Amino acid sequence: MRRLLEWRGHAWLALAARVYLSWVFLYACWHKIVHPEMFAVDVATYQILPLELINLMAIILPWIELAAGIMLLIGWRTRAAALLISGMMVMFVVAISIALHKGLDMSCGCFASQGAAEDPISWRTIVRDSGWLLLALYALLLDRIPIGIDGWLAQRRVRAATSNQGVT
Amino acid sequence: MRGMRWAIALRDAAAIVAGCALVALVFNAVRGDGIPLVQKEEYQILVPCPETMGDATALAPDAPALRSPRALVVDARPAAEFERWHTASALNVPYDYLEPTPPAVIQRIAASGAAEVIVYGDGADPDSGEQLARELSGKGIRNVSYVTGGAAALQKGAPSGGQP
Repeated sequence: MRRLLEWRGHAWLALAARVYLSWVFLYACWHKIVHPEMFAVDVATYQILPLELINLMAIILPWIELAAGIMLLIGWRTRAAALLISGMMVMFVVAISIALHKGLDMSCGCFASQGAAEDPISWRTIVRDSGWLLLALYALLLDRIPIGIDGWLAQRRVRAATSNQGVT
Repeated sequence: MRGMRWAIALRDAAAIVAGCALVALVFNAVRGDGIPLVQKEEYQILVPCPETMGDATALAPDAPALRSPRALVVDARPAAEFERWHTASALNVPYDYLEPTPPAVIQRIAASGAAEVIVYGDGADPDSGEQLARELSGKGIRNVSYVTGGAAALQKGAPSGGQP
């Protein structure tokens, strides 16, 4: 088990997962940032949040998606970014499940605002989002020294520690 | 060591959320087409449909769906007829052949959370129930059906003559 957890290949597999998730989140946040009024209607359609919180959610969430996507891509504060993306995916899966349970005929609002006829939510949407959640959890739990800025900083720290030991 | 890693990740995540919230609020405040932080009026969450009249399914007066707790039953007849007799928990939405149903009423039906909407009308030809059902369907309400024969057929089938 320990050998599996410490396998060096995780960093490369996680890199692929990170790049893919980054693309998904950067693509998803763009339309929401440009058109918050449309995203607010998408949030309202779920009929979960009270009216007072809908706009705040529509304004702030896309920026968190943007930041988490960029950080996951460049490998800076990778665990925090993966943690945020995992949290958002859990939130989306729960929201879509509630909407399906209510029998709402709607689009998920994940990307550009679409009508229910073009992109209706279904159990396939939940399976898709659960897949993204698993990728984020993989990066969160098994990518110990992420390739990117975090990995580079870790190497620098190791080199500095080694050279300090050499001096003393 | 492991707990510390998680603590750092959580601290960083909280910092990212706080930073993003700040940037988002400032960006929304300075952009020309920003939205208000708190919405005052309910959003119109119906999906607009280009056709006024949509599809509605015909339902027999004794269909079990009429007794489903997840169904919203709508009476399309005028208020006076509704007062004389209507099914239990029916919502009165008088159908007018000339005036469209007010958006607030459609909004109320959409927000009811019902899995299906069953409409009954006067049972005439044309049937006001079928007309209202098709109008609701055309305006974005899903799973709409109408009772064939309307209120008269329902009254015949009702064991106690329905509820006033």
